[in-house]
Amino acid sequence: MVSTQAQTGVGAEHGASWDDAPYPVLVADAQDSVVLRNDAATVLLPGAHPGTRFADVVPGWLAEAHAAVRVPGPRTGQEPDAEPPCPPLSGTIGERSFEAHPSVRADGAVTWWLIDDTDHVLAREALDMERRRTAFLAEASSMLLSSLNLGRCMDVTAQLAAEHLADAALVIAPTHGRRLPVVTCPRGGGPSTSHESADPDEVPGLGEALRGFPPVPSRWIDPSSAPAWMVPEDFGTVGSIVITPLPGHGVPAGALVLLRRSGGAAFTDSEEVFARLFAARAGAAMSAARLYAEQTSITDVLMRELLPPSLHQISGVDYAGGYRPSADHERIGGDFYDVHPAAVEGDASLITLGDVCGKGLEAAVLTGKIRNTLHALLPLADDHQRMISLLNTALLNSHHTRFVTLVLASAVREGSGVSLRLTSAGHPTPLIIRADGTVEEAQTRGTLVGAMPHAPARTTALTLAPGESCVLYTDGITEAEGGPLGGSHFGEQRLKRVLSECAGMPSESIVERVQMLASQWIGRGRHDDMAVVVISAPRTHHLSAVNGHTRGRFTA
Amino acid sequence: MTTTPPAHLRLSTDDTEDADDAGDTVRIELQGDLDHDTADGLLAAVTTVLGDHPRLDDLHLHCAGLGTVDSLGLSVLLMIRRRTGHAGVRLHLDDRPAALDRLLALTGTLDHLTTSSATAAGPFGAEDPPRTGGNGKAMTVRPTGPDGTT
Repeated sequence: MVSTQAQTGVGAEHGASWDDAPYPVLVADAQDSVVLRNDAATVLLPGAHPGTRFADVVPGWLAEAHAAVRVPGPRTGQEPDAEPPCPPLSGTIGERSFEAHPSVRADGAVTWWLIDDTDHVLAREALDMERRRTAFLAEASSMLLSSLNLGRCMDVTAQLAAEHLADAALVIAPTHGRRLPVVTCPRGGGPSTSHESADPDEVPGLGEALRGFPPVPSRWIDPSSAPAWMVPEDFGTVGSIVITPLPGHGVPAGALVLLRRSGGAAFTDSEEVFARLFAARAGAAMSAARLYAEQTSITDVLMRELLPPSLHQISGVDYAGGYRPSADHERIGGDFYDVHPAAVEGDASLITLGDVCGKGLEAAVLTGKIRNTLHALLPLADDHQRMISLLNTALLNSHHTRFVTLVLASAVREGSGVSLRLTSAGHPTPLIIRADGTVEEAQTRGTLVGAMPHAPARTTALTLAPGESCVLYTDGITEAEGGPLGGSHFGEQRLKRVLSECAGMPSESIVERVQMLASQWIGRGRHDDMAVVVISAPRTHHLSAVNGHTRGRFTA
Repeated sequence: MTTTPPAHLRLSTDDTEDADDAGDTVRIELQGDLDHDTADGLLAAVTTVLGDHPRLDDLHLHCAGLGTVDSLGLSVLLMIRRRTGHAGVRLHLDDRPAALDRLLALTGTLDHLTTSSATAAGPFGAEDPPRTGGNGKAMTVRPTGPDGTT
């Protein structure tokens, strides 16, 4: 191409061919005078009449390039090692951008071809900008989503925004009570958290952004109207402030405040759009973290509410209980037990142990409902069948057939023994450990509760002599899978053998032994919830010693 | 026809459409565990069958290949019993393994699940289960007074 131009220049019959050239062309001779220009160059540089000094009529960058090309002598124009604009030669003329291609003739004259690349430059700048933004958003997403900690999400959001979008950034979370949690981060600094006792509605746009409804766009506010807490210390004069809502998953996640110093560039439209894109990612991450935190706290609350109680001696009857949920990290599940002391001394206490169908949190919620219902029915505790029927009615539901199987036991000390009434509602039969080591099944049977219109059950009455115990358990024990070869159930027979070896043992020891053996049986395998409650008649002549060792003794 | 439910429980459905007045019979063979993970698959399959066969008289669940049935499995059997009852379909649990029989006996659901709905008696010979014909949603047969049964 260069050689073609040179030929054209050499064969200069300065006619129509020059003027037809699509690009502006200027020729300057060895004395730096303009000798020729075509029509396009006339339009572009109206002052460059032939005969004028080249350096006087073209922009500085082109004059420098011209000097640099000419000095080393005649050769095909590549910019020499002076310091003209970076390769390729380019610069602006008027408002547009040009590339300049020189070709040097044998006589030292230089022909300058000027090619308009304004659009190309704009497109490249836009592309670079988009690439930087995309890279930033990708970085932001991966940093934000790697944390489910709300405080950390706010820190990261403020830090990223301060680094890429503004001179300082504030992240404000929706208020809890009267104080606004605020994370402030100046550019180049670290995020710091504070709680401002400020009314967000005093700052235009902030209240709406924090409420999340109605949705508000980013909002410019007058820097002078910003309260003092919004401006970091030593920030200087604020030039512009924009408040952008952080949209969450259906809930507002907070607001992002961007500040720029006066004297710097204000926010452009495209920067504002970009800030919104960033805000959408930050908001999603923050609301995910918030939901996670809420869920964790709900689980904590439920756990505290649903954990089985620790048992002890009540009114001369020994109680002990043990519970192991199916997943060890869950701590709550579908098994439950409670001991309700009698309202009047001398009446029977009510012991409940049950197993709700299902596992985990869903089962735990139903468990809570059942325990509450049974608690409310305590005045009827004398009539097990009536309690079960009322519970059945309360649980019956057209949407599902979730049920509970349970055992009700009423226990009262009578002389040195304990008189028991037992009712099983579709639950594994309670086992009685007699003093001589025989293990009996209690003669009670009934249907499960909550899935069928009626829940009939048969109650049995018996007496525990001193040292004898009644064991209530859930099928998690008998159906524990494992054993030396794996895959076999712990089973009722094995449980009975274990219990017969427990004759005469205190209730707590029996619970511990059953739990220990079942856990050993399972090894590391999967298991269901496992609950055991033991009701014992204390050995009379050991009573004082037993009492001395029993935790939380209740005096009779 | 074979439906593909979740893993561990395979169902094969087999319908016999009688041209005469004997009505339709569908037989579903259960193979595998009926538990937490698979129970919903069986319920969905039965719901589909009930929807597809408005003239169905008998639904046979063939249980010989059934492994472990856990509490959710039992819950789904009770739900199936409720749905077939509403639809006027007789439910049959055929070839029950001993473990299933033990579970049903222990939970007092054997009679309820195995007494065909046409002549259904509640467990322990109590009165009818709530098959208030056509009144599909009115399953919550709540006695008005607090003392419903005894």
